[in-house]
Amino acid sequence: MLFSQLQFWVFFAGVFALYAVLPHRAQNRMLLVASYIFYGAWDWRFLGLIAFSTLVDYLVGARMGAENDPRRRKLLLSVSLLTNLGLLGVFKYLGFFVDSFVALSNAVGLPADPVVLGIVLPVGISFYTFQTLSYTIDIYRRDLKPCRDFLDFALFVAFFPQLVAGPIERARNLLPEIAQPRQLHWDAIGRGAVLCLVGLIKKIVIADAISPGVDAVYGNPNATGAEIIVATWLFAIQIYCDFSGYTDIARGVAKMLGFGLMRNFAQPYFATNPQEFWHRWHISLSTWLRDYLYISLGGNRGGRWHTYRNLMLTMVLGGFWHGAAWNFVLWGFYQGMLLSLHRALTGRRKGSKEGRRHGLGELLLRIATVALFFQVVCYGWLLFRAQSFEQIVTFTGRILTLNPADFGALAMPSVPVPALAGMLALLAWDLGTEARGNVRFYATWPLPFRAALYAVAIYLLAFGATTTPSAFIYFQF
Amino acid sequence: MQRQIRIILTTLLCLVALDALVALALATAAPGSLVRFFDYGTSVPGKLADWRAHPKRPGNLQDVAWLPEAVETSAEAFAAETSQNPVLRVYGMSFVNHIADAASALSPEIVSDKFSGPGAPPNFTYAAFLDDRANRRAGDVVVLGILSSALAPMASFTNSSWAFEQPAPFTYPIFRPGPDQTLTRLDPLVQSLKDYRAGAYDSADWTAQRQAEDALYSPVATALPFLDASPFARLVRRSLALDDITRREAAVLSDPEGALYPYAEVLRRMTTEFARITREDGQIPLVMLVQGRDARDPDLTALLRPVLEANDIAYFATVDHQTPRDPAAFASDGHYRKKIDAMFGAKLREMPVMQDAFGG
Repeated sequence: MLFSQLQFWVFFAGVFALYAVLPHRAQNRMLLVASYIFYGAWDWRFLGLIAFSTLVDYLVGARMGAENDPRRRKLLLSVSLLTNLGLLGVFKYLGFFVDSFVALSNAVGLPADPVVLGIVLPVGISFYTFQTLSYTIDIYRRDLKPCRDFLDFALFVAFFPQLVAGPIERARNLLPEIAQPRQLHWDAIGRGAVLCLVGLIKKIVIADAISPGVDAVYGNPNATGAEIIVATWLFAIQIYCDFSGYTDIARGVAKMLGFGLMRNFAQPYFATNPQEFWHRWHISLSTWLRDYLYISLGGNRGGRWHTYRNLMLTMVLGGFWHGAAWNFVLWGFYQGMLLSLHRALTGRRKGSKEGRRHGLGELLLRIATVALFFQVVCYGWLLFRAQSFEQIVTFTGRILTLNPADFGALAMPSVPVPALAGMLALLAWDLGTEARGNVRFYATWPLPFRAALYAVAIYLLAFGATTTPSAFIYFQF
Repeated sequence: MQRQIRIILTTLLCLVALDALVALALATAAPGSLVRFFDYGTSVPGKLADWRAHPKRPGNLQDVAWLPEAVETSAEAFAAETSQNPVLRVYGMSFVNHIADAASALSPEIVSDKFSGPGAPPNFTYAAFLDDRANRRAGDVVVLGILSSALAPMASFTNSSWAFEQPAPFTYPIFRPGPDQTLTRLDPLVQSLKDYRAGAYDSADWTAQRQAEDALYSPVATALPFLDASPFARLVRRSLALDDITRREAAVLSDPEGALYPYAEVLRRMTTEFARITREDGQIPLVMLVQGRDARDPDLTALLRPVLEANDIAYFATVDHQTPRDPAAFASDGHYRKKIDAMFGAKLREMPVMQDAFGG
């Protein structure tokens, strides 16, 4: 059941209708049932996994909250970490480690037969595992009190709008929203609907429409350097629209129900350096990694080299979180290198807005920096999208030996007109948000202008909704 | 709440105004790709009505590939043949025709006679092969073309069920496994261009038969044709209809041996029956497997190579000569590029069955 399919909206209409007439406690129970139905529609066999993870963390949280002995608290935290990371390890990484061991063994001359484990990756496991881990870690750190109501906690873990691809909500944000009575507000419903509309345009009109071009080039061993560059630019747009589109819809759906999920993207391609990029891209993951991994490793408290080490470790593990493949590790390594390099070059100095000129020169410089840094980000996306190390090496070589004339002879599916229109609209939307510093920059417009904006957006969605809905990229993580 | 209702109503008003503007712009615009883009979403009855009203318009497919009329034409051509030399009798679609043409261009002694339909599924090519039996002679090489993108339509009666954007109304039977390795043939109620022109396409019986037997028939593609006046409604219909048809196709393809439609078994029986009949008639069977560029298509060689080799049936598989994963091999219309077709033609010509029939 994809957000971009009619089936989901029929499901949501049913949920919303029930939600509107139920009292608070019953709303929560109904949302929990709906969330399990939503997840079960992917694969009902994995419902047990979520339920198990929920039960363990609820019990660990409850015991930890009543426990003052630091050693016992640490032991309880270990139970939570081992359970959640153990499940993640078995379902997501075991096959990868076995394959890597077999490959290594063969490489050093000790023949080993490939082992086919056939483990199916439960959709969204990385997201809900991190979400539920934040709960036990926060209790361990005494930043959070345990949730008393098991069913409320179960809803926190399984809340369907953000269950399979985030944002990775913190217990201290979402649990109070679950516990407190919520009221339906027309204003919130309207805002939520606009978020859903924007998300659907990003996903259906842009991401799904440009994916055939990207797939064609990344599936073609004879792709030219020009095709690889264009396909990687397109992939950068695709993954942004796909993932931020999902997040917009998740936030929109949650908002209609009275929940405020965190913002996950803030115009990431307007970043001028890696640090800024990670403040704008997949914010719920980058802040999770910062709060629970980077800081736990010591953060920047141990001197320059410790900071670099912690940055590298955090980003490599963050890359590995995305998928059990070496190219994700390499992508994480690349991001860690960029962050370390940026830190080495700039120190801890923060950009001061005071005294900064806002003339044409400054603007042009910023545009040039954004365009240049976008290429740096795109090389990361090449590492991310590649299907093997060999492809990374081959494609990198072809980019380095690029023949500019090849840009005039691209043999790849072209970008459909609606997707081009969608990209222009998205650029205008992101520029508006960036300029006003507010995603609701249009809120102060007179009503007819706002209504015209919504009408154009709805028309654009219909204009571009001609491709078959495909799964969101981040579902596989 | 009042404010929200005002916003909703104003948005609807803007949407209607925008739709009217677009309709006006399309009505006055010169025919082009943008106008075509909006027209693709017209309902199937709307498209067929438009074709009836404008029979000479480019892209009108209402008269093509009707089996009884095509067999009649084939009989006339066969009767007019003066030479007794072997002929390459092709039952296929444009992909197969291009390869046959490329082989003929390299070796003029390869004379081909082509019986084809746009995007024709194997049930069309096999039915054409059966119905055209009288119009072949001993020594001919007979080609049965199978296109990877046309396997789900084996569970359909007509392109107008599944080719929403180009709903050619010609029909073909649906074959299902029968007893003792046979195939049972279920003919559509509308079979000929004559039936079509007499209005049989609009009959309730035909609709009922499609609803009951045609796995790809989508009510979304046909219902409420009056909405075609709105460009917005056309866009929405296009999206919903394509989604519905794709879902139906995916359901068929998801289980090759399944209860919904066991297309793998039907294909195996078709190819072995095809070989048996041609051999019985003193002809040479040649199965042509054309793998399209869509990676979601079933792998034809994986499906059929075992049965073809077990029965010693000659076959030409495009994947043996060109990977379909290379986008550079395809033209923008989805067909193989001319140079690739020329290469296929050369490879076809080199096949022993072709050498035996037409000389080196």
